[in-house]
Amino acid sequence: MNLVGHLNCFVVVAEELHFGHAAERLGMAQPPLSQRIQRLEKELGVRLFERSSRKVELTAPGRLLLEDAREILTRVDRVYALAERARLGEVGEVRAGLPSDLGGPIVAALIAAFRQHRPDLRLDLRETGTAEQIRALAEGALDAGIVRHPCDTRDLELGPMLGQPVGVLLPADSDLAASAEVHLADLTGHDLAVFPREEAPGTYDELLAACRRHGYAPPAVHEARHPQFALGLVLSGTAVALVARTDDVAGATWRPLLGEPLTWRTSCVWRRARDPEQARAIADFTAIANAVLPREAGMTPLDGAPVRRVVQRPASGFLA
Amino acid sequence: MSAPREITPRELRSDVRVRIEAAFRDAGVTGFLHAIDIETGREVAVRADEPVVLASVFKVPLLVAFHRQAADGLLDPTEPVTLRPEDRTIGPTGVSALLDEVRMSLRDLACLMITVSDNTAADAVLDRVGLDAVNATAAALGLPGTVVEGSGRDLLDMLLADAGATTLGEVWSWLDEPGVLGRLRALDPHRTSRSISREMTRLLGLIWRDEAAPPAECAAMRRLFGLQVWPHRLSSGFPYDDVVVSGKTGTLPTIRNEVGVVEYPDGGRYAVAVFTRSLLPIAVLPQADAVIGTAARLAVEWLRRP
Repeated sequence: MNLVGHLNCFVVVAEELHFGHAAERLGMAQPPLSQRIQRLEKELGVRLFERSSRKVELTAPGRLLLEDAREILTRVDRVYALAERARLGEVGEVRAGLPSDLGGPIVAALIAAFRQHRPDLRLDLRETGTAEQIRALAEGALDAGIVRHPCDTRDLELGPMLGQPVGVLLPADSDLAASAEVHLADLTGHDLAVFPREEAPGTYDELLAACRRHGYAPPAVHEARHPQFALGLVLSGTAVALVARTDDVAGATWRPLLGEPLTWRTSCVWRRARDPEQARAIADFTAIANAVLPREAGMTPLDGAPVRRVVQRPASGFLA
Repeated sequence: MSAPREITPRELRSDVRVRIEAAFRDAGVTGFLHAIDIETGREVAVRADEPVVLASVFKVPLLVAFHRQAADGLLDPTEPVTLRPEDRTIGPTGVSALLDEVRMSLRDLACLMITVSDNTAADAVLDRVGLDAVNATAAALGLPGTVVEGSGRDLLDMLLADAGATTLGEVWSWLDEPGVLGRLRALDPHRTSRSISREMTRLLGLIWRDEAAPPAECAAMRRLFGLQVWPHRLSSGFPYDDVVVSGKTGTLPTIRNEVGVVEYPDGGRYAVAVFTRSLLPIAVLPQADAVIGTAARLAVEWLRRP
C-alpha cells in the first residue's frame, strides 16, 4: 500500500473529524476515503476512529499515531523540497576550510560526524591555510573555517579557542629522542621544518619568535606544506619539525617540548548567515568540529589560560 | 640578438610596489603607504586611498590648526597654561609622565606634543584650539578624508569601555583573545580619528612648501617634526648623516604609523606616510616598527631614480 498517501488521509480526517469535509480537502469522493482509512486500520491492526452517525472521533491509538504520522509527512515534504532544490542546483551545503596538516583521520571523523548529523547537507571541505580562509570568508567563498590564531578575525564569529601543544619530530636515532621531553634550546644547530608562513603568518611569526626566545635560532627554515614532506626532511636528518602530537612512524619520534613553550590555538570561524537554514547548517558544522577536534586531534579548550603579561615601553605606549 | 626592451616607468613603479608589499608581508603587517616628491609630484602608492587609523598622527592636523590660529591672531602661542597633576591624560612621555603641576606656554606644549607625542600636552592644545577648528582646517586644506573624532582622553575612554578594561595594560593582555580586537572602535578607521595616506603627504607637502600657514608658522612646524626623538620607524630607514628625517609617529595596539619628510643634501624632499596594522597583538614588535623605514626607503629610492 501507499503508506504515505494513506497516512495523509488519516491526518486530514483527524484534523477535520468529518469524512465529507476531509474528502473535499483531499479532492476525492467520500467512499474511497472511507475505504483508505479502513485499509490503513487493517494494515496497522488498530481502529483509528470511532464513527457514529453524528460524529467522528479519534481513538486512543489514533491519537497516539497522529503525531508520528504528521512527522512522517513533514519529512516526506522535506525530501521533496530537497529534491526540488537539488534539481535546481541549490542543495544545502556548508563550505568549510581546514588546515592542510590536520591529518586524514581527523578529516574523516569530521565528515563522518557531519554526515550522521546532517545527511541532508553537502559538506564541501577545502584544504587551505588560515590566511586564505580569512580571505575566502570575507569574499563569501567559504561559510566556515578552522583557523590557527593569531589571525584577523574582525567581522567574523568565533568558536571556543582550542589549544594543542606543539612538539618536535626527530629522527628516532637522534640523541634528543632518548629523553622524554626536549628543551627548545637543545635543537640548536638543527634546521627547522614548519608549515609555510603564507598559510598562517601570525602563527608562524609567533612560533619562530618563541623559538628564538627559548634559545633556538634555526640556521635555516624549510617550509613544508605537507606533513609527509616534513617527515621526509626529518627522516633524512635534514631538519627537525615542530608539529602537533603525531604517531611515531618507523625512523621518526615525536617528543613534547619541556615546559610547553609552544601551543597552537585553533578555533572555528564563520560568517553570520542571513538565511536561518544556512545559519543552522553552519552552527551544526562548528558544533561538530568543536566536538571532533578535542576527541581526535588532542586539542583542549583554553578557557582558563593565564592572562598574558604586557609591560609597555614608551615607544609602544598609548598614543606614542 | 634583439636589443634589450626598455622598462617602462609603469613597470618600474609596479616593481617597487611589489617590493614594498613583500616588505610589509615579511614584517607581518598590512601596510598603507604614500610617498611623493614634493618638487615634482612623482609618487608611489600602496593602498594609499584607503582609510587608516591616525592614532597620534592626529597631532599633525592639530599642530597645523594651532599655527593657523596663531597666524590669524586667534591665540597667543606664548600664552601660559597650567596643567594640574589630576588633569593628566595617560601616556608614557612628556607632561603625561610628570607628577607635579606644570606651567608652560601653548607653543611649548605643542613642542612636547610633536617631539615626544605627549598626550597631556596634546589635549591641552586641543582644548584651546577646538576639535571643530581642527576638522575645519583639514577640510579647508583639501583633506576630506581626514577627521579627528576626539582627544587622547576620549580615545582612551573609548578603548577601555570597548574592551571592558580598567587599565591599558589589561587591554593589551586581552588583545589576543578572540573577538576583542574587533570590538575596539579605536582601531576601526571608520569609527575613530582617521585619514588617508595620500592626504597626509599632501598636508606635509603644504607644510614644507609654506602653504599650510604663513612661512614663519610652517618653519616652526618643520622644526618640531625635525626634533622628534623616535629612531625606530621612519628614521631607521635612512641611516645617513646627511639626510634629515622629520616626522610624527602614531601608536595604538596593533597600529604603528609614521608620517614625515625625508630631505637629501641635493635638495630632494619627499613626503612619506606609512600606516600599518600588525597581525600579532604584541606590544614590542621591532620588525613592524622597522618596516616603516624600510618601505619608506624603497619608495624614496624609487622616487630618486632619474
